[in-house]
Amino acid sequence: MSRLAQWLRTLWSRCSAALRRERLDREFDEELTTHLELLVDEGRRHGLSPVDARRIALQRLGQPGVLREIHREQRAIQIIDRLTQDVKHSLRRLRQTPVFTAVVTLSLALGIGANTALFSLVDDLLLRSLPVRDPNRLVQVRQVALSFGFRKPLNAFSPQAFDTMRAHNDALSDIVGFAPMDRPAVLVDGEPEPGRDVEQVSVNFFHHLGVVPVVGRAPEPSDAAVAVVSYDWWQARFGGSSSVLGKIVTVNGQAAEIVGVAPRGFHGLATDTPSDLWIVSRNAMDLLMVARTRPGLTAAQVSAATDAVFRELALTPPGIQMETELRPAGKGMSQLRAQYEQPLVALTGLVALVLLITCTNVGTLLMVRNASRRRELTVRVALGAGKSRLVVQCLVESALLAFVGGALALAVAQWGVSILLSLLPIAAVPEGLTFQADARVVGFAVLLSLLSALLFGLAPAWRASHVDVTALRSSPGSTATTASRRVGRFLVACQVGLSVLLLVGAGLFVQTLRNLVQVDVGFNPDRLVQVVIDTRGAGYGDGDAAGAVYRLVLERLAAIPGVESVTAVRNPIMRHSLSRGMMRLPGMTLEPDEYWDEASVGPSFFETMGIPLLRGRTFAAADFAAERGRGFIVNEAWAKRYFPNDDPIAKQIGIIGVVGNARLAGVRSETAPMTFMMIPRAPDRVSALEVRASGRPTHVVAAIRDEVRRIHPRLFVDVRPMREEIARDMATERLVAGTSAFFGALGLLLVSIGIFGVASYAVAMRTNELGIRMALGAGRWTVIRESLKDTMWVLAAGSSAGTLVAVAAVRVAGSFMSDLLFGLTASDAATIAAAVLLIVAVALAACIMPARHATRIDPLRAIRCD
Amino acid sequence: MCYVYRKDVRVKSKLDLLQGTLDLMVLRTLSTLGPLHGYGIARRIEQVSGDRVILNQGTIYTSLVRLQQRGWISARWGVSENNRRAKYYVITRSGEKQLVAETEYWERLAAVMGRVLASERSDK
Repeated sequence: MSRLAQWLRTLWSRCSAALRRERLDREFDEELTTHLELLVDEGRRHGLSPVDARRIALQRLGQPGVLREIHREQRAIQIIDRLTQDVKHSLRRLRQTPVFTAVVTLSLALGIGANTALFSLVDDLLLRSLPVRDPNRLVQVRQVALSFGFRKPLNAFSPQAFDTMRAHNDALSDIVGFAPMDRPAVLVDGEPEPGRDVEQVSVNFFHHLGVVPVVGRAPEPSDAAVAVVSYDWWQARFGGSSSVLGKIVTVNGQAAEIVGVAPRGFHGLATDTPSDLWIVSRNAMDLLMVARTRPGLTAAQVSAATDAVFRELALTPPGIQMETELRPAGKGMSQLRAQYEQPLVALTGLVALVLLITCTNVGTLLMVRNASRRRELTVRVALGAGKSRLVVQCLVESALLAFVGGALALAVAQWGVSILLSLLPIAAVPEGLTFQADARVVGFAVLLSLLSALLFGLAPAWRASHVDVTALRSSPGSTATTASRRVGRFLVACQVGLSVLLLVGAGLFVQTLRNLVQVDVGFNPDRLVQVVIDTRGAGYGDGDAAGAVYRLVLERLAAIPGVESVTAVRNPIMRHSLSRGMMRLPGMTLEPDEYWDEASVGPSFFETMGIPLLRGRTFAAADFAAERGRGFIVNEAWAKRYFPNDDPIAKQIGIIGVVGNARLAGVRSETAPMTFMMIPRAPDRVSALEVRASGRPTHVVAAIRDEVRRIHPRLFVDVRPMREEIARDMATERLVAGTSAFFGALGLLLVSIGIFGVASYAVAMRTNELGIRMALGAGRWTVIRESLKDTMWVLAAGSSAGTLVAVAAVRVAGSFMSDLLFGLTASDAATIAAAVLLIVAVALAACIMPARHATRIDPLRAIRCD
Repeated sequence: MCYVYRKDVRVKSKLDLLQGTLDLMVLRTLSTLGPLHGYGIARRIEQVSGDRVILNQGTIYTSLVRLQQRGWISARWGVSENNRRAKYYVITRSGEKQLVAETEYWERLAAVMGRVLASERSDK
């Protein structure tokens, strides 16, 4: 019976014994009773009285209580002994090779850490459900208008719509409403509380979601103005005291009484902006609608029933086509999720590759090291160590390495997440989105460590079980059996293949970013500053007053020293904000819904932006003075589309000029047909001003901000150099490219370590043979070639397999990752070729040291070293 | 054979057992007699040793658990001669192998010990 099986059997019986402890105790009692009775019977047969017989029987058996204790102990020792012995031995071995141990634990820490970091983000953004009752049935109800060739969602609904929906829709239950407030003014005890996020909610919000306050109660329909505070704010502002109940909080001038504290971990339904306060909406505010679908209905049935109610409500004028949309809301509503789902999935794939490479790499290193200790292992087997005991020891060693690596990985992950988050183009990282080493994340790291230990520990362990004791008699060199080298080669080939895959992935994302950076946006972003102004916070609505403010700002900014020119535009540049327009073109029939992009621009827009004028003229100051600007300007794409052969200006249909194509909405936006209209002299709404500075744009940014504040301190203003706006537009791509490039480099480093190890080992194993060859007159090059031959084959096999898989994987990934790729065909041959070349170059570099070492072998020593 | 050892010049009337000795005795018993319950095994060892080894019959159960953990014996429930439920122990095939190996080892050790102690004694 092998020791391993025995060990496992003992392990099994101990574990199950722990589970079945009570039953085993009962059985043992029964066994003892039978034993005792048999002893009593024996005594009676020898003529003892029943009392004496029992007394002597007990004497001969021993105290049942003591026996039971000993029995229990015996069921539980031994294994711990065996295990501590193995752990101690492994620790001693690892200490003997500090460099090896450091390299292995560090690479594991990086591999597992990168995965844990990503998992913590993926878990937060994509996996975790809201802490509400039945989150899987929660949906957000929206209407989507199909107009102007756009899908325009209608998210918020009136109280009346809510009432009708509750009364007439059987497919939905627990209908609740909420709406985040825009920069609310919050007062507690008359003190302002800046930067608090407040949501208005329907009165049944907490009841229907199944969120039970930890202190106080949920709002009731009979309540006057009431509010619920979040757990975090309760702790931070009210010291976690129950005296918070009954306090008055004032939001935008309306007072509400605090009646409850939400449970910890509940931050509302919009997960990007965790709420601090929920006030029950008393006015006729439009709210977002969230509800539960009735169980047993299909999505189509629920959708149809909801659609019918909406049609009854007739929310929009006839003629506009509306569609009902139910979006799963069980994980909360998140812009970030929508934006980062694809990148995170792509990065998860890459980072998993990194871990696979790490594991094969560590496996290779372990094997190489074990091979160099082969003689020791063989001697131990010869002295009677069970082979399976060696296997167990190998696995224990792997597990130790993995767990040390895993522990370090948590630190790496924390660091990694903060770097990843700092790359995100958001002003404030949402509170929920930090690295928290909670049970799920730690559990993931532990699981991953275990899996890796199995993955990289199996091959060395398997090899350890194939020790041939007879080989002890022959030379130590030949004990490194060919089988061990075959496994080593296979592992290296795997590593090379995986790295090709990883590098191709990383290469495509980097190439995407490069393509985006090189895109000609069609205007000159240097020395350009964009000023986005929101007048609503200062009390100006859309209309004349707002128009006056814009004109004032425009004039003041133009007067700032260092500003060359200023212009206005209705839709901010690079913010994916677009208007659509159309017009009748004489002598042409257009499709009924043929709209194109339209921009409303102020005076000297094209000059300020640096968009080239191709024909005709731009808007003159006189055009603006004429109040109602006549005429419009088109871009080149528009001219080509509608007048491919003629000069559109000559057509006398109001076109006064043709300008070059410019990507105004975003870097990725295709150059579509576009028209430019004049902003009226008294605009009702303008969103952005564009400022051309004469020097570096950063010099005027502060001046602009001060000037706007001087006009009205509560004007919300966002001033950024255009270069920064463009960079923000590419932030996702930058994040993906940066991270994947890092992973690619990490993979390369690991592979080079692995190949170096294997090549060194191959040379060391053939010292004898190479020595003889040199003694027989082989030249340097012959020796190098001989020592590298193996590795070359492995490289060739690995990289060709990797290339094949990469081509296939890119095909598949390209179809659902198209948002992440730009300006390249998915199977970008150049990227793949570059990846393979890079791997081969790195691999060769890793081989050179061992090969040079081979040429320095002293033939005499090599032959004698047997 | 010299099973007696001296302590405070007093010869013990019963024998303390070296670790593993009881295990070997149990294996031997089960191999000879087939399935037996704890009482039967204890009784048999007492009889064969002439009532010279066993301290407490209950000690036998520690040994039985150990042997089961190693897979050298197995157990199943049966009915004892006094009509009670009792666990019957059976030696397994690997137990038989172990018995052969241990017996050989023990005999060698005993022989060596015997020789060494005999020579020591003759020196005195």
